[in-house]
Amino acid sequence: MIGMWLSPIGSVVRLEMKKTFFSKRGLWVYLVALAPVAVMFLHSMVSLANGEERRALAAAHPTSAAALQSIMPGMTVDEVLERAGEPFDRVDLGRRGVFRYTDGRDAYNVNFFNNQVARVTTRTRDTIAYDSTIFATVFQFFYLRLAIFFGCVGVFTNLFRGELLDKSLHYYLLTPLRREVLVIGKYIAGLTATTVIFCTGTVLQIWALSLHFEKSEIADFLNADGWSHIAAYVGVTAAACLGYGSVFLAAGLLFKNPIIPAASVEVWESLNIFLPATLKKVSVIYYLQSLCPIVAQPDENMNRFLKLMINAAEPVSAPVAIIGLFVVTGLVLLLSGRLARRLEINYSTD
Amino acid sequence: MSGAITFDNVSRFYGDVLGVNRVTLSIPPGITSLVGPNGSGKTTLMNLMTGLVRPTRGSIDVLGVSPQDPERLFKIVGYSTQFDSYPRGMTGFQFIQSYLRLFGMSANDAAAAAMRVIERVNLAEAANRKIAGYSKGMRQRIRLAQAIAHDPRVLVLDEPLNGLDPLVRSETIALFRAWAAEGRHVIVSSHVLHEVDSISDQVILLANGYVVAEGQIRGVRDEMREHPMQVVLRCTRANEMAARVFGADHVVEARLHADGGGLLIKTRDADKFYTMLNHIALDGFVIESVAPADDNVNSLYEYLIGGEEPTR
Ligand SMILES: Nc1ncnc2c1ncn2[C@@H]1O[C@H](COP(=O)(O)OP(=O)(O)O)[C@@H](O)[C@H]1O
Ligand SMILES: [Mg+2]
Repeated sequence: MIGMWLSPIGSVVRLEMKKTFFSKRGLWVYLVALAPVAVMFLHSMVSLANGEERRALAAAHPTSAAALQSIMPGMTVDEVLERAGEPFDRVDLGRRGVFRYTDGRDAYNVNFFNNQVARVTTRTRDTIAYDSTIFATVFQFFYLRLAIFFGCVGVFTNLFRGELLDKSLHYYLLTPLRREVLVIGKYIAGLTATTVIFCTGTVLQIWALSLHFEKSEIADFLNADGWSHIAAYVGVTAAACLGYGSVFLAAGLLFKNPIIPAASVEVWESLNIFLPATLKKVSVIYYLQSLCPIVAQPDENMNRFLKLMINAAEPVSAPVAIIGLFVVTGLVLLLSGRLARRLEINYSTD
Repeated sequence: MSGAITFDNVSRFYGDVLGVNRVTLSIPPGITSLVGPNGSGKTTLMNLMTGLVRPTRGSIDVLGVSPQDPERLFKIVGYSTQFDSYPRGMTGFQFIQSYLRLFGMSANDAAAAAMRVIERVNLAEAANRKIAGYSKGMRQRIRLAQAIAHDPRVLVLDEPLNGLDPLVRSETIALFRAWAAEGRHVIVSSHVLHEVDSISDQVILLANGYVVAEGQIRGVRDEMREHPMQVVLRCTRANEMAARVFGADHVVEARLHADGGGLLIKTRDADKFYTMLNHIALDGFVIESVAPADDNVNSLYEYLIGGEEPTR
């Protein structure tokens, strides 16, 4: 019984795979998946360059973290110079002034007012913990909501619609394949392509971010909960393709223009937090956010709209979220099968 | 399993537009032609038979199988549609082979079967070229190959002679005959009656979505001889061609096109004219197209159906 289904599904997957991975229409999917990698790579490179500069300055103006941390408000210029030595830079603004120091890692600005220390500001080097929240924010706001979302719009709505536009869908309908088999086969092909592309994107982003940390720091992070976080992010990426994929496969069967359903789903998912509990569960993002290892915290200077976008619904436990996602996906695929059965070849009216 | 394709009071509307109306038919094995002007419902009937569209009313049965059951239907049916479009970037061979794999064939079996059928339609030399570079006639034939590739008992072919030059046309007709002789149903549509009536065991005439006549209409063909018909011919050396055709006694008139690249011919006997054209083509004229002049298609049907409102 299972074999009877598997082999025809396999024949559809084989034919579709090449189209989903290498279609010219789908090139931009690679771009949105890789764009954040470039940003994070740049972040790492800038941070490495800053570290290099601080080390050079510290070598020319040696001082120590202990000495710098002992500087207290109220101290005089001479007391500061005695503890920390000559700064690498002095800024003189009349009654105000700034001494700039670095110990090779962190940067310290000692602010004077009337020749007394007013306050010391520290610009610490990025930590993995800090970059993890940056990553969590980019992942939830940009990657899940926009990149994977629209990537899935592109790939999955095109599974049927693309061939309707090319007027070549009828060749599938002239073979002894159940329409449901066609739906499942196309879905698997789209899922494989998007999962491979976007999971690669996730892994590359994490790799790009890791470049500016020392080996020992990375090892500590991985030994703590690093590996499980990475696995969770890759899993959430795949889960997003699974859920959004089914939704947009169905949308491609229902609508001629994919922009309308894409926009509607985006609005629905964004309004998710305002929805009553039962309706929340009829969305993909609800489960995805429950599965993310770090909940991105909106920070103070973010605008209201952004805050809304990344605010999480109260999460459910991981097993519930995974089961919920599979249930939503299964129901949507069932609906797609129904739609495919009703599908007629009417190219002329497109 | 029954041996006929039956339509039982079948209607299909596209919104308010009538596709076909109250069609009741029984199609036996052999060559059956669906003939009617553009928009008369030929394609709709064929799409109904193959499940690409569903009837608004009525029921259809193809040798005991419902068109809504693709798993069984396409073991016995092959359909060459009028859609002149193909999966992107494929060669003729890849097209047929990948299509056959969807029938559950292994890669090797599908490759062998694809090559066999491509040879059968005389496309072996072009098998490994992209379909995008094929001529119209070659594309017609690769679709023919796709329809027959899995060796179906019922062949449904939508305007399969359209766009073929006279030589290939007669080769293709020979294929239809061979397939019919093997006991298959060969259902062919055309908007030109004399193109198919001489090869058909049965002709079904359609107009405005209604079946207006069915059966053997050789008698009707004879009557038509009295009514001259017009043919537009585009070819090289049109001057010479005009002289050649005008020599035949059934040709009433041959007028050169203004650009010198073709001519309009009036003939009393379409059959004789097409036979003659096949001979002339052998003398090195390149015939780009042969088509009945449009007003003539209309007059033909006016004549055939008496210009009345259909009553069935
Ligand atoms: N998809 C469609 N939408 C609306 N009308 C259609 C569609 N397909 C066919 N029709 C109409 O149905 C009638 C029959 O068309 P068709 O079956 O294509 O005729 P033929 O193949 O004989 O040219 C025509 O009036 C045509 O305009
Ligand atoms: Mg037609």
